[in-house]
Amino acid sequence: MKTLDLAYKDLLRALRGVSFWAFGLAVPLLVSTIFYFAFGGLAGGDGGLDVAATRVQLVNLDRPAEQAGGFHLGAGQMLADFVKSDELESLLDVTEAADAAAARAAVDRQEAGVAVIIPDGFSAAVTIPGRQAAVEVYQDPTLTLGPAIVRGVVSQFVDALAGSKIAAEQAAGELSERGVAVDPALAQTLAVAYGHWAETLGEEQGAALLQVRTPGSAAEAPDAVGSVISMIMSGMMVFYVFFTGAAMAQTILQEEEAGTLPRLFTTPTPQSAILGGKLLSTLVILVVQVVVLLVVSALVFGVDWGRPEGAALAALALVVLAGSFGLFITSLLKNTRQSGIVYGGVLTMMGMIGMIGIFTAQVPGAGGASFSTVALLTPQGWAVRAWQLLLDGGTLADVLGTLAVMLVLATAFFGLGLLRFRRRYA
Amino acid sequence: MRVMDLAIKDVLQLVRDWKAALFLLVMPIVFTLLFGLAFGGAGGAEDSRLPVGLVDREQSRLGASLLQLLETSAAIRPEVLTGRDAEPKRLEKRLQDGELAGVVIVPEGYEQRLLAGETAPLTLLADESQGAGTTARGEVQAAALRLAGSVEAARLGAEAFAERATLTDDEARAEFTWATIDRAVAAWQSPPVTVSAAQSGALAAEAEAQTMAQSGYSHTSPAMMVQFAIAGLIGAAEVLVLERRSRALRRLLTTAISRVEIVLGHYLAMFAMIAAQLIILIAFGQLLLGVGYMRAPLATGLLVLATALWTASLGLLIGVLAKTEDQVIIYSLVPMFILSGMGGAWMPLEFTGKTFQSIGHLLPTAWAMDGFKNVIVRGLGLESVLLPVGIMLAYGVVLFALAVWRFRFE
Repeated sequence: MKTLDLAYKDLLRALRGVSFWAFGLAVPLLVSTIFYFAFGGLAGGDGGLDVAATRVQLVNLDRPAEQAGGFHLGAGQMLADFVKSDELESLLDVTEAADAAAARAAVDRQEAGVAVIIPDGFSAAVTIPGRQAAVEVYQDPTLTLGPAIVRGVVSQFVDALAGSKIAAEQAAGELSERGVAVDPALAQTLAVAYGHWAETLGEEQGAALLQVRTPGSAAEAPDAVGSVISMIMSGMMVFYVFFTGAAMAQTILQEEEAGTLPRLFTTPTPQSAILGGKLLSTLVILVVQVVVLLVVSALVFGVDWGRPEGAALAALALVVLAGSFGLFITSLLKNTRQSGIVYGGVLTMMGMIGMIGIFTAQVPGAGGASFSTVALLTPQGWAVRAWQLLLDGGTLADVLGTLAVMLVLATAFFGLGLLRFRRRYA
Repeated sequence: MRVMDLAIKDVLQLVRDWKAALFLLVMPIVFTLLFGLAFGGAGGAEDSRLPVGLVDREQSRLGASLLQLLETSAAIRPEVLTGRDAEPKRLEKRLQDGELAGVVIVPEGYEQRLLAGETAPLTLLADESQGAGTTARGEVQAAALRLAGSVEAARLGAEAFAERATLTDDEARAEFTWATIDRAVAAWQSPPVTVSAAQSGALAAEAEAQTMAQSGYSHTSPAMMVQFAIAGLIGAAEVLVLERRSRALRRLLTTAISRVEIVLGHYLAMFAMIAAQLIILIAFGQLLLGVGYMRAPLATGLLVLATALWTASLGLLIGVLAKTEDQVIIYSLVPMFILSGMGGAWMPLEFTGKTFQSIGHLLPTAWAMDGFKNVIVRGLGLESVLLPVGIMLAYGVVLFALAVWRFRFE
């Protein structure tokens, strides 16, 4: 009963304080809301990421090559029209520049992110054997995503033109080697037939070439915004639950300095009941925090936390691990003056290391297996991993190993923390 | 002189606490290294392309041609997977662990269907909600198109061959087809029209400098510097709070030092601490990570000055508003998260939506990042940092004015 009384007292104090409401609930939800709007959120109704259109300066220096029979193939103009087309409007904000120098200067002045410079001789390279040309994509070096989109779009079109020429040339070349006479009409027939084929393929928007499947789930394409927010919310929840666990354990030091703890020890109440009461209040407050964050994020951001039994166990493991880690960390401190730097510094550092995979997820080429391993050097990393497995559609069996590690860590932290406090107050 | 004496007292109080060094130097260095490596490291690595697995279920000749085409990609590096490495569970695990950006699977019957002119899609396992997955999709799709195009070219050529050479022998037709496919795939090594990339800025002519500019550190070095300049305010603001709570501030007022001097003394201490922190971290970035801060020393110096001034103003405001040490932590860390997250320190703002980018640029952190990147990535000079410096100074003035207005000596 005394344990419950002490736990109730600490619980009331925590709920009356600003720290729990600010750090425990408001800040994680606030940060997740920031990222929700950062990646489109309400604006991106189709679930796609709402990335700002890239400002492009376009220059077409191509003079179409004259073909047999006076036919001019304006390949440069075709590419320019494609870049300016309505279907790319949401991705590219295109302005036509007077010349290449003006286009590059606009990028240098940061008025545009990318300049697309179609060279003179582009059409000739597409039609005349032996000729080559390169479309220049001149970019702002601080940008990654926008130039990648522009390069991808331009490359797709350029590839189609190159494919047509390669198809006609190589087929004609092989025919010639085998003694079949290849006249311009045959070459043109091959090119036109290839063009029809490519056009049909284009209408199917690549589905005839490639089917993409997200690992660990059904064939449906993922909701990009939802996926990002789910990851961030899981990271924020873990990050701030550990903060709350440490803050609750800090009350031991506060009571020690205020003198109430030593006075408690002079009473018949056993030490185990006193420390047990503190731990119990910590676990209860952490359960409240986790449940509120899970429910609010599911309702407001649409986060699907996976199978209920998995989510419940992961929540329990997180609560126990964060609570015991807070107890352990606090047992290392001499007084509350040290707690500021330790909680703010150590917990921030460990939390960010644990979430490193979340920060790097959106950047191509970033992250990787080694950083997943580095994250697991922290207890926060294991907790994040458990939630990521559930968010990826993992079953209870998939996440049990991780939960087991979390419970082992919790036991170790709890044991060490309790031992240190017993020695301290012996 | 009294201002200096008070500032020196505050600085000594801070540096005597070894834990201040943790926040001010150790953590930003550790995070710069960690996140810098995560965002791509020092650049110029032997092969920094995204690894993509290739599983050929039928071990076909077209599968080998596909590999040839994937190897020409500038963005992905194919990794052939066979045996146990090609088992579905192992593939999924490697994808989830981030070891692979994607896995291309050549299904059974792919070659036969493609040669017959039928639709034959490859399968790509990839998470398109992540940047690496999107990149993998683009590159694999391009390679798949080139391969399918090569096969179509061979098929059209074989039809023409059959018509003109009255070809009836299937073996000869097959030989023609494969020879044309091989020629076409080889021709893609040097296509007639390509896309070439070039970078703007003063670094454009320096190949090595370009690589450095694209390194992960060129983002994380200034980002962690700005973020931990704010985090470091915890210690500095605590000095002010303790001084008020212990009534030392009231006792100071009984001395000859004026109120203005007290405010300036504390502000100067915070400014000195942050400026020293920034200088040390810049030296670390320049000497050990190759980040080009010293390309334009005057520009970098102005940025350090402006960043230290507005951050110190924020620190003064925090010290003024907070009544307890707990509040100092909250009032320091919450702005740190918001200013860093929204200002592009955690992740470049270009990855966010247009509205968010506009909002982010209302914050001084975004302008600090712009200023530093103008120097270290674009290789620009003094002129390019004047606007960011001006905006940061304006923030410094506003925050300082707020702090002075709210300063209570009792």
